[in-house]
Amino acid sequence: MAQPLSTAIDTAFKSNIVPDQEYLLQGSVLDKSVEVLLHRLRGLCDNVDSGPEPFQDHEMCFSIRTTPTPLNLRVRRALDHQDMPWQLRYIGQPEYGDKMRPTIIRSSIDIGCSASVVEFLTELGCRMEFEYIARGYMFRKGRMKITVSKIFKMNQNKAQDNMEPISESYLVELSVLAPRGQDAIAEDMRSFAEQLRPLVNLEKVDYKRLTHGPP
Amino acid sequence: MAYSVNVAIEAPIENQIQEIAYDGTEVYQQPLSMSESLSKLAAKIDFGKGQDEKEEKVSEKAEDDAAAKDPAAYQSSLWPWDSVRNKLKNALTEVCVLSDVLAIAKEKRYLVLDPVPQEAPETKAMVTVYARKKALGGAAAVLLTGAERLRTSQSEAARNRTVPDFHMELLQLRKNWRLKKVGNSIIGDVSYRTAGSKYAQSGMFEVTKAEEETTSSWSPPQSPSAGPVPPKSASALKVTLPSELQGVAYIEVHCRKDDEALFSTIVTSSALGSQGPMPDMHWQKKLEAAQNVLFCKELFAQLAKEAVQLPGPIPHMVVGNQIVASILPGIQLIIGLCHSTTTNNKKAVGPPQQKKSDHDHVLEHSIHQLLREVHHKNTHHPFPHPSSGPLGPSKQRCLAGPTAVDRHELMEMSKSKTLLEQIIEQTQHFTMRRRTEYVLDTIAKEVRDPLIISHWNSINSPTKACVKVNIMTHGYDTICRTLLVIHVGKKSLKCICRDGSVMNMSYEIQELRDLLICQIQQHQITAVQALAKCMGWQTLSNSMHLGVGEVQQMGNASSCILASPMGDRLIAVRCEPQVGTHVSVAHSPRKDFFPGQLVKERKWENLGGCFKEVRWDKMEGKNFLNKMELLMASLTSSS
Repeated sequence: MAQPLSTAIDTAFKSNIVPDQEYLLQGSVLDKSVEVLLHRLRGLCDNVDSGPEPFQDHEMCFSIRTTPTPLNLRVRRALDHQDMPWQLRYIGQPEYGDKMRPTIIRSSIDIGCSASVVEFLTELGCRMEFEYIARGYMFRKGRMKITVSKIFKMNQNKAQDNMEPISESYLVELSVLAPRGQDAIAEDMRSFAEQLRPLVNLEKVDYKRLTHGPP
Repeated sequence: MAYSVNVAIEAPIENQIQEIAYDGTEVYQQPLSMSESLSKLAAKIDFGKGQDEKEEKVSEKAEDDAAAKDPAAYQSSLWPWDSVRNKLKNALTEVCVLSDVLAIAKEKRYLVLDPVPQEAPETKAMVTVYARKKALGGAAAVLLTGAERLRTSQSEAARNRTVPDFHMELLQLRKNWRLKKVGNSIIGDVSYRTAGSKYAQSGMFEVTKAEEETTSSWSPPQSPSAGPVPPKSASALKVTLPSELQGVAYIEVHCRKDDEALFSTIVTSSALGSQGPMPDMHWQKKLEAAQNVLFCKELFAQLAKEAVQLPGPIPHMVVGNQIVASILPGIQLIIGLCHSTTTNNKKAVGPPQQKKSDHDHVLEHSIHQLLREVHHKNTHHPFPHPSSGPLGPSKQRCLAGPTAVDRHELMEMSKSKTLLEQIIEQTQHFTMRRRTEYVLDTIAKEVRDPLIISHWNSINSPTKACVKVNIMTHGYDTICRTLLVIHVGKKSLKCICRDGSVMNMSYEIQELRDLLICQIQQHQITAVQALAKCMGWQTLSNSMHLGVGEVQQMGNASSCILASPMGDRLIAVRCEPQVGTHVSVAHSPRKDFFPGQLVKERKWENLGGCFKEVRWDKMEGKNFLNKMELLMASLTSSS
């Protein structure tokens, strides 16, 4: 018989096989040049034959008041794949590190769940902070995942085809989920990001600086 | 000065020879002194330069004369500068005259300078036309020669193109194969690693420029009379493959019955024969062959690994270049890797191969396909939805959490069949299918009376097929037909009979044969009853599994008793699977009633008499039902 579940998870964490670290680089590209970027990504990424994978996701961010900082939880569902489970995700504080570190590292724990998770979180005392719809394309290059997506405002009463975009640009994210301590992948990400220059500059985006910066 | 040394300076004997005496002594001309040579040079100054042509001509003449007289002149004249002085004097005179003329002309009182009217050249139309024609002709000629030159250079280039260009070929190579430059050499890769293969052996090859001799030996035959010589395999590229990738390889699959001696089928590479790789093969062919070698090796290595690991009642064997797996009792699958390199190609012209024909193309194809599927799966992972999910887990795994899948189901999910297991299953099915075909065909051949028609479904999977068997009698197919559906699986057969009963059978094919024979007999009985209904006869009794009579080897005898419309005749039919059919008739009232001690009264004659068997083989009719029809017709009495 296998060992009890709790100790199995503990050993898994101790031996660093749980992929709970997200290595992340972000950037943005204007609408008019997104085609060029997509074209280059198609050439660079795996499975040229199958083409880019489209996606349309709805994300809700919930927060619950804890000390000292509120805890954020994200619920995400695929609008174009209704049969897939919803996803509940915790994203930790991003570590920017020094200049030598190529990517942001943040802890990320996700789990599949059913549609009743929203109700569950509300019952727990969570409050929905914001929600949006991300629509775009996914690419894969080895372990790296590249998403090029446009963020739309969520409007309840209107139909989905006339969604209002938040900006005139696309969000580009390059991410890898890996166990703790696998920093070699970060170097791969840096070199891949280099290949996307100057179409898009993928960087370690510091949100705090953005919020406190000039309006 | 008293200490000075006298140095004799002697002019080199380069003086002109004045005369040579008869005794050979040369009398030299005395060299000119400094002043003499100066005056000679001064005399050469051409003061008349710049004058009009006419004047120049005159002066030239004069000068020529002067020059002609020169050697004498400077000797004869008292003063060597005399001629120079004369010329200067003449020049002065002329300049003075010119200035006088100009002065007078300036006054405009005595002399006026008028421009001399130039006579306009006569222009004739025809002349200009001809001139232009000529000019145009000249221009056209220039253009034509230019075009001709371009054409020749182009054809030259085209001719050079057939002589292969290394870089053009490299470009072609680069379009189809992975190449990279390492140092000064170009390294390529024929492995399927980018397509998802995880095989360790590398498929590196080196690209080099072919030796000059091949190309130089190529260029000379350019004689137009020889006609266009097709370029055989002249290539500027040379592809160097490692020795283990050279040659031709393929996977051979045999199905073998156990009664043959173990390893009687030795898979050899002799079938390769003459189509072995030539050393001067084109690089594309060569690389494709190498890629195939690599693929076959990967496939064989994978299968061999699985054969060793796979637990089974009879362990699979890996011996040399063969894998032997037992499929069904008495049937073995042999997978062999054949690889012939150029070196052992010569000895391959050895023993004649009598067993070459029985290797199985379909299984060979599907074994290749299985590995390709593995490769494809290795590279084509599903994308996560929603997009923030991790890459990798399948949709089934993603759904496992929310749908609360238990441990057992998760374990089932992680199970997958190995290549060997899959190919064994396919082979098992293939064997089953062939056996079923064989049984159906032999029965259809043996049993002529009810016709046995089998339809194979054209849509099937590698491990499942379906056949519909129709049993009917010729000419009576609308009256009765018996339908069977046989599902051919991997190690078993499933037969769904006419009455809806399902028979599961093992791989032993005798079971199917027995079932079919029983079904044939049952068909006969059912058909007789259906026919009787048409003829107005009545079925008195009917039993598919008769308990009386002698014990059958297999199945049970079936029977029925039919009564004529008037009820005065009876027919009994008994079908035995092994023996065949017996038909007996009886009369009621019996014709030969004799009152005995027990049965005295006449009324008992209506009980019916004892049955008398009809000599069925003497009966008229094409088949059983036809005979029955005739029999019933003859026994039916109208009164």
